[in-house]
Amino acid sequence: MSNAGVIFRREFAAYFNSPIAYIFIIVFLVLNCGLFMTPFFLAQLADMRDFFGNLPLFLIFFIPAVSMRLWAEDKRSGTFELLMTLPMKSGEVMLGKYLAAMAFYVVALLGTLPIPIMLAMLGNPDLGAVFGGYLGALLLGGLYMAVGIFTSGLLRDQISAFILGMLACFALFLVGVPAVSATIDGWIGGFGSFLQNAFGLMPHYQALQRGVLELGDLAYFLGLTAVFLVLNAVWLEGRKY
Amino acid sequence: MIEVRDVTKRFGATVALDGVSFRLDKGEILGFLGPNGAGKSTAMKIVTTFLAPDGGTVSVDGIDVLRNPLEVRSRIGYLPENHPLYVDMMVHEYLQFVGRARGLAGDELRRRLEWVVEACGLGSVFRKPINELSKGFRQRTGLAQALIHDPEVLILDEPTSGLDPLQIIGIRELIQGLARSKTIIFSTHILQEVSPVTDRVVIINGGRIVADGRIGELERAAMGRNRIFVAYRAPAAEAEAALRGLGGLHEVRPVAGRDGAARFEVRADFGQDVLAPLGRLGQSRGWDLLELQESPFSLEDTFIALTRQGAASREVSHV
Repeated sequence: MSNAGVIFRREFAAYFNSPIAYIFIIVFLVLNCGLFMTPFFLAQLADMRDFFGNLPLFLIFFIPAVSMRLWAEDKRSGTFELLMTLPMKSGEVMLGKYLAAMAFYVVALLGTLPIPIMLAMLGNPDLGAVFGGYLGALLLGGLYMAVGIFTSGLLRDQISAFILGMLACFALFLVGVPAVSATIDGWIGGFGSFLQNAFGLMPHYQALQRGVLELGDLAYFLGLTAVFLVLNAVWLEGRKY
Repeated sequence: MIEVRDVTKRFGATVALDGVSFRLDKGEILGFLGPNGAGKSTAMKIVTTFLAPDGGTVSVDGIDVLRNPLEVRSRIGYLPENHPLYVDMMVHEYLQFVGRARGLAGDELRRRLEWVVEACGLGSVFRKPINELSKGFRQRTGLAQALIHDPEVLILDEPTSGLDPLQIIGIRELIQGLARSKTIIFSTHILQEVSPVTDRVVIINGGRIVADGRIGELERAAMGRNRIFVAYRAPAAEAEAALRGLGGLHEVRPVAGRDGAARFEVRADFGQDVLAPLGRLGQSRGWDLLELQESPFSLEDTFIALTRQGAASREVSHV
C-alpha cells in the first residue's frame, strides 16, 4: 500500500504543479454552479436535484479531461519505463494514479459545498437527498475515472485518450437512458433493456440522487469501476508480451 | 550476475531479437554495441523486466525475470534511452520520489540523496525545475535516479547520447568510478566511448550477437592480419618493389604521405615481427626511415567488419 502512496503523492502534486488544475477546478465550479443557480432563483426550491441531475452529462467531459494524462503523458515523456521498472506491482502504480485523480476530483467537488450550506441557511433541504447526491457524484466520478484511466493506458496521445474516454463514458450514459434503450429494443427485441439493466448508469444514479441507498446501486458503481481498473492492470501486464 | 540465454523477441512481424545469449560476471562492465535498431534497447528492456522475452531465459543474480520481476527490479538501476524525467518536478523532488518508490526513507534516503547529488554533480541544480535543465544535467539527473538505491546492477541505455565532449567525459568518469563495485551494461553506437571504459564488448546487429569478447580478440578475429605503416625517403616505385621483394608481407599498398616520402600500408600475420626487417631494409638501401608503426585497427574497422560478416552469414543461412 505504501507503494501506491508514493505514486499517489507524486501524481496528486503533479495536478497542482501546472496551472491546468486551477483552470479545471474553476471551470468545474463556474459551469456547475452557474447551471444550478440560474434556474434556482426561478424555481426557488431548496434542493440540489438540478445540480446532481446535470452531473452525469457534465462529468462526461470533465473526468476524461482529468484522467487523460494518467498514462498517456508517461508514455510520451519516457517516465512510463521508469514506473514499470520500479520494484512495485503495476497494479500499485495504477492504484496510486487512480486515487490521485480521484482526490483531485474530490477537491473540485468540495468546492461546491457552499451550495448545500447556502441551501441550509435559506431553507430546509432534504439532507438525505443531498448526501445521496454527493455519494452518487463520487461513485459516478469514480466510474468515469476508471474508464478514463483505462483509455489513457491504451493510447500514447492525451487528446485521443480524452476523446476515447469521453465516448466510452457517453456510451455508459446513453444505454441507461430510457428513450435509447426503447429504440434499441425496437431493433433487437429485449437487447436495449438488457443493456440498460446491465450497464446503464442512470437508473442507479437516479436512485442515489433521491437519497435511496441500495446495495444494488452501490454494487453497480463499485463493480463496474473495479472491472475497468482490473482491465487496466491486465493491459499493463499484457503490454510486456 | 546477468545471464541472457537464447532470448527472442518479436514485435508483430519484426524480429527484434533472434536467439541472443551473453553473460556478465559480477563487477564486469559490458559495452553493448550495435547500429541503431539492432536490438540493444530491446535486450536491455528485457533484462530490466520492462518487456518479457518471447522465448529464452534471462536471470539477474540468479533470479528469473519472468518468475520474480520485482526482485530483479530492486537490484537494477536503469537509465532508459529517453530521459525518464518528470519535467514538472524539481531535481530534488524527483530524486526523492524515485528514492521513496524504491523503498528508501528517512536518514537512508537523505544519505543516498547526498551521495548521488555529489557523484553526479547535481549540486548546482538541486533545487531547479527539471524543465529548465540543459541536456547534460538532464542526463545526469537520469543517472542519479538509476543510482539512488545503490543497485548492484546498472543498465544504461545510451548514457552519453546527445552530450557534448566534456559532458561525455564526465559521464564516462562517473561510470569508471562505479566500475569497481557494480555490474554495468551500457549501450552505445559511438565506438570511441567503449574503449576508455571497458574492453569487454558485445556487438549486436539485426537482432543477433555478432561478436562477444575482448576488443583485442575481436580485432584479430575480424581483421585477420596486423597492419603496419612504413615510409621512406625514397623513389616510390623502387621502394614498393623492394617491399614486395621482402618475405612475410601479405599486402603492400601505397598510401598518401608527406612530400618526398614513399609511404605504404603493409599487412602481416599477427605475432610476426616485421618491424625489424622493414627498418633494416631502409638502412641497407640508404633510405631515411620516416615512419614505422604498427597501427591497431580502430574499433570502427572491427565493428564494420563484424556487422558485415554477420549480415553476410545471415544471407547465406537464408539460402
